Amino acid sequence: MGWSSRGGAAMWRRSQRSLVYAALLVVTVVMLYPFWFMVRTSLRSLTQYYAGSGYSLTSWHDLFAALPVLRELLNSTLITAGAIVLILAASTTAGYALGTLRYRFSSTVFLVVASAMMVPMQSMIIPEYVNLARLGFINHYYAPILVYAALGTPFATFLLTTYFRRLPEDVIEASLIDGLGYGKIFFRVMLPLAVPAIVTVVVLQFIQIWDDLLVGLLFLQTPQQRPITVGLATIPSQHFLDVPMLMAGSLVSALPAIAVYLVFQRYLIRGLTMGMSK
Amino acid sequence: MSAESHAATPARLKPRRSRSRLAARRRRAGMLFTIPVIALVGSLLLLPIGQTVYYSFTTWNGFEPAQWVGISAYQRLFSTPEFVSVLENNALLVLAIPVAVALPLAVAFLINAHVRGWRIFRSVFFLPTAVSWVVIAFVARNFFDNKGILQSILNGIGLGFWHPDLLSHERSALIAVMITFVWSMFGTNMIIFLAGMSTIDQEIYDAARVDGAGNLSVMFRITFPLLKRFVQLAVIISLITAFSALFSLIYVMTSGGPGYGTTTLEFFIYEQAFTQQNFGIAATAGIVLFVGVFVISMIQVRLLRSDD
Repeated sequence: MGWSSRGGAAMWRRSQRSLVYAALLVVTVVMLYPFWFMVRTSLRSLTQYYAGSGYSLTSWHDLFAALPVLRELLNSTLITAGAIVLILAASTTAGYALGTLRYRFSSTVFLVVASAMMVPMQSMIIPEYVNLARLGFINHYYAPILVYAALGTPFATFLLTTYFRRLPEDVIEASLIDGLGYGKIFFRVMLPLAVPAIVTVVVLQFIQIWDDLLVGLLFLQTPQQRPITVGLATIPSQHFLDVPMLMAGSLVSALPAIAVYLVFQRYLIRGLTMGMSK
Repeated sequence: MSAESHAATPARLKPRRSRSRLAARRRRAGMLFTIPVIALVGSLLLLPIGQTVYYSFTTWNGFEPAQWVGISAYQRLFSTPEFVSVLENNALLVLAIPVAVALPLAVAFLINAHVRGWRIFRSVFFLPTAVSWVVIAFVARNFFDNKGILQSILNGIGLGFWHPDLLSHERSALIAVMITFVWSMFGTNMIIFLAGMSTIDQEIYDAARVDGAGNLSVMFRITFPLLKRFVQLAVIISLITAFSALFSLIYVMTSGGPGYGTTTLEFFIYEQAFTQQNFGIAATAGIVLFVGVFVISMIQVRLLRSDD
């Protein structure tokens, strides 16, 4: 009897484990199906798509003929990179000042910048658009670069300030004794120490900016400057129902962010969970 | 220890004045290093939100000078018939939140059992987080379309007589948007719960097992209560996403339609401003959105504090 109950427990545990796997596999199918659909559909011509059989590269040819894909990828890259540089410039300096140096009003500044995280894009985008239009910035790369930089900086500042706050004060003391000024301490000591947090900011912002639509849609209205997401979303109406071509375009647009995700997911997860541990 | 004494000695030997000079230098450096963030966030985020507050009380087409109409701007907004259905859509979106939180919570439990390959499952489930709403919307449109994937699945399992055709009707189109939203939020919420579960001390589980607690009672008596804070966080983040980050999805998937069926507050703002030139009404709606998101965030801050 003892034997049979022990065998029963093992069997129960084994069947429990296969149930867990079954559930996880179902979720995997649900999560991966769209990607598989994109790949398979993009490898079909429109007629093959409707017929449901056969494969060809026609849709990829059509995509590159219909949209300036390479140009759009370059535009996305320029805008994303420019915004990230500004975000880093503003948030590392602020993180150092508000997290390490601190001064009389630094906690107030931190509170104001951190609460700017809550501003939804739609609530500020109208005056933003009018302001930048008055300055003649529409259809220049620096308009979306500035807007993305402003939108990304509060969270980046929050992240870097909490990061710098955890560094021991001795680091500063020791550098002062070595005769470094506060400026040099920032560049030579603090920045190298902050590299993990900086990578987290870069990865989070890359994905967010690369994937965004609205800012590019409003601030870049000429086809030559459009980022890839805008190019896809405003695809000329004659291609609107060409599902295989749209899937090829979707893949092109998604791949860079997916690549960044696959390489740096550790940092992405850390960035997301860092907001939780106060 | 040697570093400590090295640091302490010169400081003690220094005259008082130089120390306060050092403090002044430090303060000045601190302020200097804050200038970039103040300039950037001040001019491009705080200034425009302030302007939105002002314009929310005006009639304005974006070109001619705005006309002050005062609080009646808000009455005007709330008495617009479309706006009522927009608020209704936002309220309906809230119904997706329990699902968007419960499903990843359940799956996080499975992954947290650390079966072989759990890291791969985690990566796969989190993958949609990296994908643009634009891309997700293209696939979703194809999925829910009358001739789309969903229909061919139904045909395949012998339910071909049923044509849900979700995107052609107001309410069902919103349901399609909600399903897509749940799919996209899955990874983020799962990561929140996994982070939460990793903070729970393994010893608590071991102690419970020794006391003879079964799997289910461990889940309900130990894990759930300890995860409360993370569930709250997931609810808040999902709410804020639903209210203020679905523009691209709706723009590509349904363009707010059919009718006003999937026009949420943020899509309404875009449409009023940039297709109808009602910048004033859009600004008023922008403030309503801002207040909504702000209140939700404040609840989160309050909840975090009350836990301490």
